[in-house]
Amino acid sequence: MPGLVLAGIKKTYGQVTAVDNIDLTFPKGKLTALLGPSGCGKTTLLRMIAGLEDPSRGTISLDGNDITEKPANRRKFGMVFQSFALFPHMSVAENVAYSLTIAGVDKATRRARAEELLDLVKMAGFEDRRIGQLSGGQRQRVAIARALAQKPDVFLLDEPMSALDAQLREAMQVELRLLQQKLDITTIVVTHDQREAMTMADQIVVMSNGRYEQIGSPSEIYHRPASAFVASFIGKANFLKGKAKDGGVDVSGFLFRPEPAASFLNGSAVQIACRPENVSLSSADEIGPNRLAGTVTFLRDIGPTREVYVETPVGTVICEMPASTETVFSQGETVSAEFPPHALRLFPDTDDVAGAQSRSDTGEGGGSIASNKQDVAA
Amino acid sequence: MIKAAFKQGFMVLCAIYVALPIMVVCLSALNGGRSMLFPPEDPTLGRFVDFFVNEPVWLNSLENSVVIALSAATLAILITWPIAYDQWKKDTTFSKVLASLAGLPFALPPIVFGVGLSFLWTFIGGLGNMLTGILSHTALLAALPLVTISIGLQSIDRAHLDAAATMGASEGTILRTIILPQTMSYTLSGFFFVVVLSFHEFIVMFFVSASSYATVTLQIFNSLRNGFTPTMAVGAITFLIVSIIVFSLTARFGDLPRLMGADQARKD
Amino acid sequence: MSYPAAASDIQVGRADGKSASAFIKGLGLSNIVMGVITAVILFVFVAPFLLVLVVSFGEKIEGASWVWGFDFSNYIRVFVGVDWPNSVTLLYTLKLYYTLAYAVLGSLIAVGFAFPFTYFMTQGSRRSQAMWLVFVLASLSMSEVFVVMGWDILLSNRSGLPALLKAVGVTDWLKETGWLTVLRDWDLASPRNVKFKTSQLATVLTMAYLVWPYAVILLFAPLSRIDRSMIEAARTMGAGSVTVLRTIVFPAVRLPVFGSLLLLFVYLLGTYVTVTYFAEPAHQTLPVSIYESIRGATLNAPFGAAQAVILLITAGIFIGFSLLLARLAERKA
Repeated sequence: MPGLVLAGIKKTYGQVTAVDNIDLTFPKGKLTALLGPSGCGKTTLLRMIAGLEDPSRGTISLDGNDITEKPANRRKFGMVFQSFALFPHMSVAENVAYSLTIAGVDKATRRARAEELLDLVKMAGFEDRRIGQLSGGQRQRVAIARALAQKPDVFLLDEPMSALDAQLREAMQVELRLLQQKLDITTIVVTHDQREAMTMADQIVVMSNGRYEQIGSPSEIYHRPASAFVASFIGKANFLKGKAKDGGVDVSGFLFRPEPAASFLNGSAVQIACRPENVSLSSADEIGPNRLAGTVTFLRDIGPTREVYVETPVGTVICEMPASTETVFSQGETVSAEFPPHALRLFPDTDDVAGAQSRSDTGEGGGSIASNKQDVAA
Repeated sequence: MIKAAFKQGFMVLCAIYVALPIMVVCLSALNGGRSMLFPPEDPTLGRFVDFFVNEPVWLNSLENSVVIALSAATLAILITWPIAYDQWKKDTTFSKVLASLAGLPFALPPIVFGVGLSFLWTFIGGLGNMLTGILSHTALLAALPLVTISIGLQSIDRAHLDAAATMGASEGTILRTIILPQTMSYTLSGFFFVVVLSFHEFIVMFFVSASSYATVTLQIFNSLRNGFTPTMAVGAITFLIVSIIVFSLTARFGDLPRLMGADQARKD
Repeated sequence: MSYPAAASDIQVGRADGKSASAFIKGLGLSNIVMGVITAVILFVFVAPFLLVLVVSFGEKIEGASWVWGFDFSNYIRVFVGVDWPNSVTLLYTLKLYYTLAYAVLGSLIAVGFAFPFTYFMTQGSRRSQAMWLVFVLASLSMSEVFVVMGWDILLSNRSGLPALLKAVGVTDWLKETGWLTVLRDWDLASPRNVKFKTSQLATVLTMAYLVWPYAVILLFAPLSRIDRSMIEAARTMGAGSVTVLRTIVFPAVRLPVFGSLLLLFVYLLGTYVTVTYFAEPAHQTLPVSIYESIRGATLNAPFGAAQAVILLITAGIFIGFSLLLARLAERKA
């Protein structure tokens, strides 16, 4: 089978299980993002792929060859580290050509290759600088060039943007994606930033507690989350808890009907997730199913969108609309929030929601049903 | 303002207290006569000529000091590098015990170690031989490079080792291309600490030389019996200058505060 | 799309699987190196201490050197005298007492002055810290012989402090007020002038001087690791400098300070040159008499070894304490 295949990979440290029985395929030439909160096992998984940690169980194979027993230095996988790990005692060119130097490639070829790679990452002319003279973004480019120097079979990046400031991060994500597509190289990126994953990846693997929750394209994961955890970790969602009733959900007396109808047993605990941009607001007198009446408690304009917080009998609901929307609501106004049937995702009611323990940022304290993505950006 | 002045004042007073006897020794070297007077009488630089030209006994002992210090420092590095590396890499009970045994002579009163060494060299017939003197100083001072090299190894970012491994470096290649260059300044610091302390060390050399050869420090002590002479002070000055140069170099090329255990995160 | 074309001819070749013979060779080499080093450590670093212990049970032969043996007579002689049990002489017990007393006082004085100095030093910039460290290290490396030489000149009756005091009239004032008599009782004056050589005061002060730089180095690490924002937080809550020292700095460095005291104390147990120069024979210490027994006038190697063992055990006990403290400090951190 082409690509990198993990089969039954497990990693335990004493009593703690860091990675639990993972089966994954990384298709050749595609970029896969391992996405999850800190401590979910994504970095451990990446280090096992690199050969820096030995899996406790399972096999890793590349294009059909078992490489589980191969040490890191024989795998020919290029890796970019979170801290970049550039060698301070070497110049930029020496860093880039390191893998060639230790493989015994002659000096002139090494230099030519280093120049070529630095040109590729837009760092031409920096060959003889010291690492200490470079900015964060420049260091990252050098680290990428260095990892590519040995023409790796698989390109690994461990939180590559976390040492960069927010603006640079966005730009580098696009650039890295373009570079990866140009080189057509199998790439795995570890990140905790859903925006980053969605910007760069062909395929996203959402992980939590050493397992994966969902594998899919960025739009699949956003629009059709497979679990409450995914719905809460990727983007924002309003969560409503209730009991299943005839293909719909009864939330404290309010009835919600999804489309297509749900197939839960009547009376089982269910929660509904609905993205804030799918909730629409109108004046209070409209009534009917899939609606909650409430009072506007908080408003904010954040550039392209406007957010309205509505206090309803079952908790706070967040509604997001384009800032250009003509209808303007004001604080204290009574409104009706509509949840369109096709935008409702139903999950069994467990507490498995990312950031469930953290305080909801609606500012309303307890009783909130809106769970926002934990803001973990550094 | 007053507080700052108090701090400055206290530190300067301490510095004067520390520098005073050293200054006195240095200035005494300028005495014209044979006796050690302060302030010096009939100032002259003739004592420097005596030390380096006229009295071969001094130049001879200086040569001994240099040979012993450089050899002991080299040997100490060669012995402690593998010990520190083994402990850093594997951290086994064996490596820990070996490291603490290597630090033993420096931790215990040197006179006891000197007595023990004099017994040892008497038994195997090397007492009074320069080689046994070198080995004695190696053993006494090996704790210093052991500590500096260990600090150096601990300061290496483990991600650098992983990065090298993913680029195809074997363990030996990593040692050669990453670890050795990155710990070079720490190794050199250890080397220089041994050199300087060996220059000044007295009691162990006193026991193991058995009066058959003398370092400058020993020669000064031996000459003390006939009273101080200004020529000895020239020896003291020479060593003091060497110490200051060596430690300044260490501060210039290595991170002296970190070597002394300062928190590395704080850089102002 | 693929890699840039010019690079296509470079192959970073890598052998598949481990090269077994190279692996075994590498393993063997490192084992041989560690084996040789272990042998050197045992032979040169450890054996001398064991020899001292073994020789201490030996017996001196009149007119010859000494023979192996196993009895405790040398130890008995150190504690209660050679003629025990007929009579008890505490000569060597007294030497042990002076050894301990000088070391305790010397290390206390050194830490007392080094603590504020180092505290002020760590508040400076990294650069000024490095400069002070060069100064301290240079003075630390000064041989005991040079230090004694310097203090000997400073304290000598002809050209040092006593001469200075006389010249500025302090001596005459002391004579008039009767303080000179008091100083004479304390053994710090002759009938004509104050006198520091030989005196216990000079011995202890020189010892404190010897370890002062060591004290600074030992205190530097714990003091420089104190979180500065902690001190600043205390300041904002209204604590003055003294309160900060008392409530923040001292509790944070109590254990390392005590550990440093112990280490300096152990270091001072072995002082030789200072004591031979500044203490009169009746107030001299074990190291001096060890030297006398091994090399000097009495030539009784087993007896010298027994004294060395007692010194070693004393040092060992206190080093054990300091290690224990270090471990406690680590657990707290």
